[in-house]
Amino acid sequence: MMACRMLRPEKLEEWLAELLRSERRLIAPQRQGEDVVFQPVQTVDDITLDYINTRWPVKAWFFPPSEPVLRYRYQGSGVELEQPNMALEPRVIFGVRPCDAAGLAILDQVFNSDGEDEFYTRRRTMTTIVGLSCTHPAASCFCTSVGLSPTASAGSDLLLTPMGDAGYLVETLTARGEQLLWEYGHYFAAGECRSKEAVTEAAEARMSRQAALAQGIELSERLFEHPIWAEVARKCLGCGVCAYVCPTCHCFDIVDDSDAWGGVRCRNWDSCGFSLFTRHASGHNPRPQQDSRYRQRVLHKFSYFPQRWGRLMCVGCGRCVTNCPVNMDIYATAQAVLQVQGVKHET
Amino acid sequence: MSERYLIEYLSRDSERLPAMRNIYRPHLMTVEDIRDETPDVRTLRLAFQDQAVGESFAFVPGQFGEYSVFGAGECVFAIASSPADRGHVECSFKLMGKVTHALRDVEIGDTVGFRGPYGNGFPLESLRGQNLFFAGGGIGMAALRALIEYCLAHRQEFGHITLLNGARSVADLVYKEDMVRWAEQPDVQLVRTVDPGGETADWDGEVGFVPAIIEKLAPQPEGTVAITCGPPVMIKFALLTLERLGFPQERVITTLENKMKCGLGKCGRCNVGPVYVCKDGPVFTAAQLQALPRDF
Repeated sequence: MMACRMLRPEKLEEWLAELLRSERRLIAPQRQGEDVVFQPVQTVDDITLDYINTRWPVKAWFFPPSEPVLRYRYQGSGVELEQPNMALEPRVIFGVRPCDAAGLAILDQVFNSDGEDEFYTRRRTMTTIVGLSCTHPAASCFCTSVGLSPTASAGSDLLLTPMGDAGYLVETLTARGEQLLWEYGHYFAAGECRSKEAVTEAAEARMSRQAALAQGIELSERLFEHPIWAEVARKCLGCGVCAYVCPTCHCFDIVDDSDAWGGVRCRNWDSCGFSLFTRHASGHNPRPQQDSRYRQRVLHKFSYFPQRWGRLMCVGCGRCVTNCPVNMDIYATAQAVLQVQGVKHET
Repeated sequence: MSERYLIEYLSRDSERLPAMRNIYRPHLMTVEDIRDETPDVRTLRLAFQDQAVGESFAFVPGQFGEYSVFGAGECVFAIASSPADRGHVECSFKLMGKVTHALRDVEIGDTVGFRGPYGNGFPLESLRGQNLFFAGGGIGMAALRALIEYCLAHRQEFGHITLLNGARSVADLVYKEDMVRWAEQPDVQLVRTVDPGGETADWDGEVGFVPAIIEKLAPQPEGTVAITCGPPVMIKFALLTLERLGFPQERVITTLENKMKCGLGKCGRCNVGPVYVCKDGPVFTAAQLQALPRDF
């Protein structure tokens, strides 16, 4: 379904302005203090293209930090269930970096298969992702190490890649993307598919972190019990920020919140870094120390998820690295663990 | 681009969206009966309020559900009733935390929530024609009860059945009435034991931890499958004892009781390595557990 168009630089703003007037809600990167964040657009002037990546991944627009999955009302000794209200509006999210879009493709596997989670899936179905390739990766970025690239298309419906003065190369990747292009075709010049290879190579050349992590970690009993976990986790405070800023972390808790008349059952973001995460009612905790919890985080991303779903659960955005209050670094950890794994192969 | 895509796009969404079902929405259940098994273990008998759902509801022994008190939250327990008991499920729970305290407070006629069945259940096909050696400790018997009821209802399909039931004390033995009924069935041997110090003056059962009694009973591994459930420390030593008696790991079955929230393989809480207890378990053979990282 690969088709290419070009979007002239001066047409971009016009297109966004028309999108803003359309029935679709436009969500795009905007400056907020020091940060750039995804916000519903009020005026096109608020949209910024001057960012390496947004403060938060786009995850929360599909899987919010807290949301009701059920409402109920007490009726005598009975209970009446209600479906939670979901604001279901067609949306376009513009300017999603390839790493964060790839994060959505990963979340799709969890939420959108084998028992569809309608809250996530409905939002996904109603949202068109316009990706924006990355030309100037940050020092903390390592997408190529995990098998992606600054111009990777996974998870985007349309992907715009800046091609200098010529404007943006537009890749149409899904039916949703085709639909958007069909509606706004007059902004896009038809043309031959130009190669984005040079842009990709130039962006990759700017990346300092280029280790080979894409093959994942091969788990063995020796590796699982290895002292390296205690070593790498020693600093960990168990604050959970790494999970909250992660485009792919999706663990959640389900709790009730009620009053005398009824209540809501909410699902809230959770983190495997928290000590209560796996603690049984009996007090038994399969992961009693922070090293076992951090081991879970690393192995879930680099071993367990790949075994189950055939791809890593890390997109190399580097947010967990830059946000960690004690400078823990999953990129360095994965390398160190792979080194331990490698030693086994040599002996 | 052609109009075809617009039509395809819109029709797909409009057809698909209403068909989706809220996977977190529980069935409403009426509390029909309450039985106190021990001072801190209670069994609730729940009837589906939607009769059609109740009639079509089916499960495999060993599967579990999410039981909820509206206002307190959800909790995972095994479905403890017989699969033949249509329109109902039973759960047995020990008073521990917020939800079990709330469940303790419900009365007959009250409404609670139930969603399930989840998980794999016991491998019935590989049990048929075998002698069965059950060893349950404490509230762990709840996970075995549905299977015991199933096996006794299909008595001719299974060989000799041994039921070993242990608890901390005589007062803590669950399913006392069921035990009497089960022991009356043909070719069923019931052995009950309490931890040392937990016996009463008139106690006529065994005294000793479950693994020690397994050793004493020394079931023959040939033609026998051992099924054990109980607290982690009991399981650990029960598996060692069964191994010592010569049971191959493929013929020792147990359940993992990890903390769970969704029951659907999404919330990321119950995994042991790449295995999700809620999807791939909770029933595992000792051989399967052996292959997993020690993370349970």
